[in-house]
Amino acid sequence: MRRGDPEGAAALFERYAPALLRFTDRLLSDRGLAEEVTQEVFVKVIARAHQYDGRAEVASWLFAIAANACRDRRRKDRRAPVVPIDAFPEPAARGDGVERVLIEKEKREAVRRALAELSEEQREALVLARYHGLPYAEIARVLGISVGAVKTRIFRAVETLKARFSEGDASWNAAN
Amino acid sequence: MECRELNERAVDRLTGQISPEAGRELEAHVAACAACRAELDAAERAWEFLGEDPDPEGTPEFRRRGLELLEEEMLRLRVRRFRPKPRLRWAAQAAAVLLAAGAGYFAASRRAPAPPAPAPSAGAPAASPMPALGSDARLSNLSYQSVGASGRIGIGFDVTTRHTVEGSPADPEVARLLAYVLSRSAENAGERSRAIELVQQHYGAGVTPASPDIVAALTNTLRKDPNPGVRKKAADALSGMPMTPEIRSAFLDALRNDRNPAVRLAAIETLAAAAKESPDPRTIQSLREKAVDPSENGFVRARAASALKTMEF
Repeated sequence: MRRGDPEGAAALFERYAPALLRFTDRLLSDRGLAEEVTQEVFVKVIARAHQYDGRAEVASWLFAIAANACRDRRRKDRRAPVVPIDAFPEPAARGDGVERVLIEKEKREAVRRALAELSEEQREALVLARYHGLPYAEIARVLGISVGAVKTRIFRAVETLKARFSEGDASWNAAN
Repeated sequence: MECRELNERAVDRLTGQISPEAGRELEAHVAACAACRAELDAAERAWEFLGEDPDPEGTPEFRRRGLELLEEEMLRLRVRRFRPKPRLRWAAQAAAVLLAAGAGYFAASRRAPAPPAPAPSAGAPAASPMPALGSDARLSNLSYQSVGASGRIGIGFDVTTRHTVEGSPADPEVARLLAYVLSRSAENAGERSRAIELVQQHYGAGVTPASPDIVAALTNTLRKDPNPGVRKKAADALSGMPMTPEIRSAFLDALRNDRNPAVRLAAIETLAAAAKESPDPRTIQSLREKAVDPSENGFVRARAASALKTMEF
């Protein structure tokens, strides 16, 4: 891709776009916006391919660009994250009853609401650790912070979630 | 392990980054400390609950549009490389082209009378007529040969004499000379390119309207020049001129037939820009065909599709 190879760019997109979309979707809580930002990330990546120095994993480099893009977008929008659950692709019911599907939908909504209430910094660190399984050092590289700061952000995020759930979210209670 | 260490150990455990030893210490501690046990349980439940949000999947539309955007961006970066060279350097090159072209043009059209030929010796056939050789004439492509058994020799050469033609771009003589250069005189791709750059700078919308001769020479170059770089330059020069049926037709031919994708892309850009101003059925049809042509280059296909999207029918 650094040599301007279109097939390289397409291969990069095919390989990393799904993970980046999951990341931006959880950071922005808006599927349409997440798709747009993810696509923008890859466009930026093409223009900045020469800046990739190979020191970090490609995925980390992409996550870092995506995290910045999400922050920029949120700063522009200046509005609280929303949870347009209807925009989420509905998982196949696989013969389950309507009630089961509704409960799952409720749980997803509850998780998204909880994530949306975290601070931006906490959400970034938590999502990278919980949903992408990145080790502390990699998260630190992505977010440009120390490993200690990563742990602190994750810990505070977990504390916030515990407090929220202990207050009695209906979906949380339904799940436990 | 002490209670104050719980938070860090708990996070390490949740993220799967706890060492076996620290894990054992944590287990031992919460087995003996009900408060820490409750805290750890709550943290684990919260962590687990996050798993109730399944990974969203990208839709086919997201993938299609993403790849399309990438193609457009790659294309944009490639097109940038066609920027003209700095103006001063270009002007010097263009001047050289004009001078060389003027030489051929005027040498062919204004021959001075031949100098008096030497008196032939008795019985020997006269030499071929000697061309006019001015003081600044240059002989090139020399060749020597024996002609038959008579002992005569042949000396072949090209004669060029330097001339400079000056005039405003609107001057019909200057325009005619440029058209001549474009259509016949420039011998290599570099000279043809520089002649086109000269035309591009001085003729077009907002400057001097190009003469029919120049337009014809450029459309002919776009259709037939063997060098793709020259065809691309002709397309660029034509794109700066007001759209006419002749120019549109040349671009449509280029879009359909040119072997070089950069030329086809230039054709798309110009045709699409013109069609936005004044919709043209042939243009729209050609763009539609390109947008769905599976054998077409991905950039060209994507650009055709994206050009169609920007048009209002």
